Amino acid sequence: MTTTEHASEAARPEEGNRVPGEPDMWFFVFFESLLFTSYFCVYLYARTQNERAFLRSQSHLLLWLGIVDTIVLLTSSWVMARCVQHARAGRHELARRFAIVTAGLGVVFLALKMVEWVRLIHSGNTLTSSDFMQYYFFLTGIHAIHLLIGFVVVGVIIYQLSDARRRSPRTIETCSTYWHTVDLFWVVIFAMLYIVR
Amino acid sequence: MAHSEKTRLFVAWFVLVTITLIYLWMDHAADASAVLVASTAVTVAAIVLALVKARIILREFMDVRHAPQLLRRLSDLLVVVMAVALLGTYVVGRALA
Repeated sequence: MTTTEHASEAARPEEGNRVPGEPDMWFFVFFESLLFTSYFCVYLYARTQNERAFLRSQSHLLLWLGIVDTIVLLTSSWVMARCVQHARAGRHELARRFAIVTAGLGVVFLALKMVEWVRLIHSGNTLTSSDFMQYYFFLTGIHAIHLLIGFVVVGVIIYQLSDARRRSPRTIETCSTYWHTVDLFWVVIFAMLYIVR
Repeated sequence: MAHSEKTRLFVAWFVLVTITLIYLWMDHAADASAVLVASTAVTVAAIVLALVKARIILREFMDVRHAPQLLRRLSDLLVVVMAVALLGTYVVGRALA
């Protein structure tokens, strides 16, 4: 077994003995999840009261673009989880590169989202054109704001990993928890807006 | 050990992407023509699959499976609360429509 593998095994969390990151971040995760769930409930209820109009507006979305967006964000989350694994194992330079790739994939996600927003607005689908579009722009917009905060959070990880004096495994885990939360919200938003009939 | 953790993360990512692609198949199956049609089966399946994905993200990517039992149970409870709230709202909404 190599030195790196020894470090990796030593750094590997044992089953059931530690909270990943700061506990405060987990309060945020639960609070935000319940907040987003309430948005989804309002959307679903409104949808059931006027299904035809919602389906008509929903048909303007490009499913394949939503699928690509989802895969990009899921991949960013996977790369972020690998970043944490490398950081725990003491492979800080590799972890830093994975954090940069995570941010890059976040930029791709946001760029694709903006392409869809511009396409919809050009075809006359705006925040005020229909109830469905109002929910669409609200949910994707508020998610995009969370993603923008995520870039700051990934920036903190890159900053910490760049210098041995600044490295804090707990902060890196806390930041990664935030990024995964943004991913978690998106998989539900995607199902709500693109798939639900 | 490190290798198995790496493989486990890859498998989690692969399952998440596969579920996402199942949506594509569901979409084609639900709408024979270009016109979208209402479907309770598709709606319920979409919500359930999204919450399965949410749990995988919590357990594997957010490392909840290594967390204390309280956090593991709370995260499972969160997924259950989301499921009850979303499916309940949909059922009640349909009944009142």
